[in-house]
Amino acid sequence: MVDFTLPHRPALADAKSGSFGAPATGNRIMLAALPEGHVLQVLGSKGSAGLEDLIRQIGGGNPNAVRAYSPGQWFVVGDAALSPADISGKAALLSGKASIADQSHGRVRIGISGTAVETVLAKGTAVDLHRAKFPVGHTAMTLIGHISALVTRTGENGFEILVLRGFAESLWDELIQMSLEFGVDATVNH
Amino acid sequence: MASLIACPHCGPRPKEEFTIRGDAGITRPTPDAGEDAWYAYVYLRDNPRGRHKEHWHHTSGCRRWLVVERDTMTHAIYAVSDASAPGETA
Ligand SMILES: [Zn+2]
Repeated sequence: MVDFTLPHRPALADAKSGSFGAPATGNRIMLAALPEGHVLQVLGSKGSAGLEDLIRQIGGGNPNAVRAYSPGQWFVVGDAALSPADISGKAALLSGKASIADQSHGRVRIGISGTAVETVLAKGTAVDLHRAKFPVGHTAMTLIGHISALVTRTGENGFEILVLRGFAESLWDELIQMSLEFGVDATVNH
Repeated sequence: MASLIACPHCGPRPKEEFTIRGDAGITRPTPDAGEDAWYAYVYLRDNPRGRHKEHWHHTSGCRRWLVVERDTMTHAIYAVSDASAPGETA
């Protein structure tokens, strides 16, 4: 029985939006609060190996849905909200070789793009973001400043950042700050 | 302090992403090893000058425990490996 409802409020609903920084149009940065669909943490059981094909099925074959960040550990993300039945359906595909922890309520995705995006992110992380070392689909768990973040390249000039919900607005403000020299357009519509 | 650690899973990362536990060379005594052995295990550490193996946790990366072999005097890093036995990695 539910005594009261818990309304879902997007983490970045009240984050600042609009255009900030340099007025130049050449290589502006686009910052976007992405849909809070699903974020599933998939953890391989001890001794299991070669799970990549299986994990791709959990991601439904969507490009960049699967984000490997540690041996035997992945995040699987997407725009669609999943019901508990959807998630147990996915867990059944793993047949005990790995388990799923639903993190949809706890982590938020931010999209950042623009021709200068590597220069902007390099202000916060020491990971080598050059395309040769960090191709499309590659993921790294790292720090942006002092905030833990999962960085994934989703396009030639685009990255997604997965961050703990409570740090999302703080990181959002920092990303705007880091982008000011190029000019930045920040959008939070859900 | 060494500043770049080549994590075998994540690649070169700054030391700020890691937590250092200390000497990787000591082994846990058996429960009945006696007070002296346990006292040494819990409290006594060498302070070596030169090559030293330590447990480092990649806290802000893959969250794996690593063994980092480094020089405490020159800050050179000789080797970094996963702390688990081969094949144990999940
Ligand atoms: Zn690592």
